[in-house]
Amino acid sequence: MVQDTRLIELKGVCKNFGDTQVLRDVDLYIRKCEFITLLGPSGCGKTTLLRIIGGFEMPSSGEVLFEGKDMTGIPPYKRRINTVFQKYALFGHLNVFDNIAFGLNLKTPEQMGVKTKKEKKEEIARRVHRMLKLVKMEGYEKRSIDALSGGQQQRIAIARALVNEPEVLLLDEPLGALDLKLRKEMQLELKAMQQQLGITFIYVTHDQEEALTMSDTIAVINGGRIQQIDNPKRIYDEPVNAFVADFIGESNIVDGVMLEDDLVKFSGVEFQCVDEGFDTNEPVDVVIRPEDIMIVGEDVGMLTGTVQSVIFKGVHYEMMVESGERTWKVHSTTMQPVGTSVGMTIVPYNIHIMRKATTADAVPVQDKTNKEA
Amino acid sequence: MVKNTRAAKTFRTVWMAVLMLFLYAPILIMIALSFNASVSRSQWTGFTLDWYVKLFNDPAILGALKTTIEVAVIATIISTVIGTLGAIGMHSMGSGMTNVLINVSYLPMTTPDIVTGVSLMLMYLFCHVPLGKWTMIFAHIAFDIPYVLFSVMPKLRQMNPNLYEAALDLGCKPLQALWKVIIPEITPGIFTGALLAFTMSLDDFVISYFTSSDMYPNLSRIVYSSTKLGVKPTMYALSTLMFITILILLVLVNRRTKLENL
Repeated sequence: MVQDTRLIELKGVCKNFGDTQVLRDVDLYIRKCEFITLLGPSGCGKTTLLRIIGGFEMPSSGEVLFEGKDMTGIPPYKRRINTVFQKYALFGHLNVFDNIAFGLNLKTPEQMGVKTKKEKKEEIARRVHRMLKLVKMEGYEKRSIDALSGGQQQRIAIARALVNEPEVLLLDEPLGALDLKLRKEMQLELKAMQQQLGITFIYVTHDQEEALTMSDTIAVINGGRIQQIDNPKRIYDEPVNAFVADFIGESNIVDGVMLEDDLVKFSGVEFQCVDEGFDTNEPVDVVIRPEDIMIVGEDVGMLTGTVQSVIFKGVHYEMMVESGERTWKVHSTTMQPVGTSVGMTIVPYNIHIMRKATTADAVPVQDKTNKEA
Repeated sequence: MVKNTRAAKTFRTVWMAVLMLFLYAPILIMIALSFNASVSRSQWTGFTLDWYVKLFNDPAILGALKTTIEVAVIATIISTVIGTLGAIGMHSMGSGMTNVLINVSYLPMTTPDIVTGVSLMLMYLFCHVPLGKWTMIFAHIAFDIPYVLFSVMPKLRQMNPNLYEAALDLGCKPLQALWKVIIPEITPGIFTGALLAFTMSLDDFVISYFTSSDMYPNLSRIVYSSTKLGVKPTMYALSTLMFITILILLVLVNRRTKLENL
């Protein structure tokens, strides 16, 4: 379970490559045994952030603390952190066993808790075998790396990192190259491994579904800034701005005006909501998930419109409903034929109000209450 | 496209034959003459291996063979080390700098041998270094390095860029990572480069001629000086053996490069 101890802390981390600012003033802490995902579109800076934690990049300014001690200048080989790289980066000239044993071979017998070289060799064999069992690759010791499939190479890369018993495992889009079914399997396995081993995982992905499935905490990143740090449920239900709402899941985002506390007007209609603390007549972004719009009879709907298109998505139908100036995306398990006039209602707590803000201005504050799972 | 008529087919075959004849006729004649019992170039008096036997009993030629191999081996080893480390260094620099360095390193490969040879000789004379075996070896190292460089660079470019970082991540210090991961990963390229450097060393005449002296003749120098006194058939035999050795080495290099690019 996630503990309260802060294992890694980033304070005001900035990173520039030439004139490009890749990370702007990132504050983040990572707790012991936490599964935290850095989520964002490509080029948002999430991989750079991971590489700074791993020691492969130096921040241009700011601090990286490990258990309260500054580790900004410490090289990767002195950090108790291991990494699973995007394209696995296995050593082609070594077989499976020697790839996994690579890190252990560099240690002295004393560091392995044994006395002689012979005992060290036996200990290495034991640990490698245990890892192969963990990643379900027993019996592959003597195979060459080239003879493995992508999914198998992925498992070896994970074993090679975990065998060193790191305090933190960094994973850089590790499942990106696998097919959908394999990816889903590996997501569950990785989560199970993390819980079994009780170590911290820092996971980078652009796949929001992956992030929601696996994480204790998600940090949504865009334009080099952290947009929101929260548990998956709150990220999904309470996105802090239009970017997060749009990036996580599907959303209808419309312009609205906050008339008073708990009352918002959009599409020419006043709606009850549960948001307070806005200025009178403050323009806001209103975010509504497609599954939160209920199709009702035309006469009882808060909004009325005409069904423009219907797509069957497996579990639900996705309908585009035109109402006045705009088109709403609606998910429903019952289908309405194209051309039908329908009514739509939205319950107050499904209307999410967000302050109008350019994404770059949003600097979230990570507080503990936000992170309760 | 030319149509596949009979005439076109015949034309293509003949054209190919003429081409091959141009390329290989001189060498074929030389090889044939090396087996000719007669000393005369215009008469075939029967097959013999005498010239080859004589060749291996001639102390001057054996001495030159020893020099040639010694020079090639030493130059290959040193240029492979320098070239490999140079390639790794160039690869890790920013791409702008790498491109400049690559172009600078190409230059010696395209410079005519005679220019390289004369300029090296001038440098040695300017620095008052007496010409001999070691001046020749250093000249060979100089022209071998680009071949190693350009065999190793593609291997580095193909390499997963995270491999070095993975080694550091698992506890290697930078030099350990180089030795335990990078070098093994590019070994095929290093080996090809060494083979190419060795071939170029064996093959060279012009640069060796200007950077060495008659005191330390290599094989090509022996062949060249013997032509002044009228060529003996032993020289045909020697040249044949050199030709075949180089041919085998080049075939090896080609097969390696093909295999690596699969």
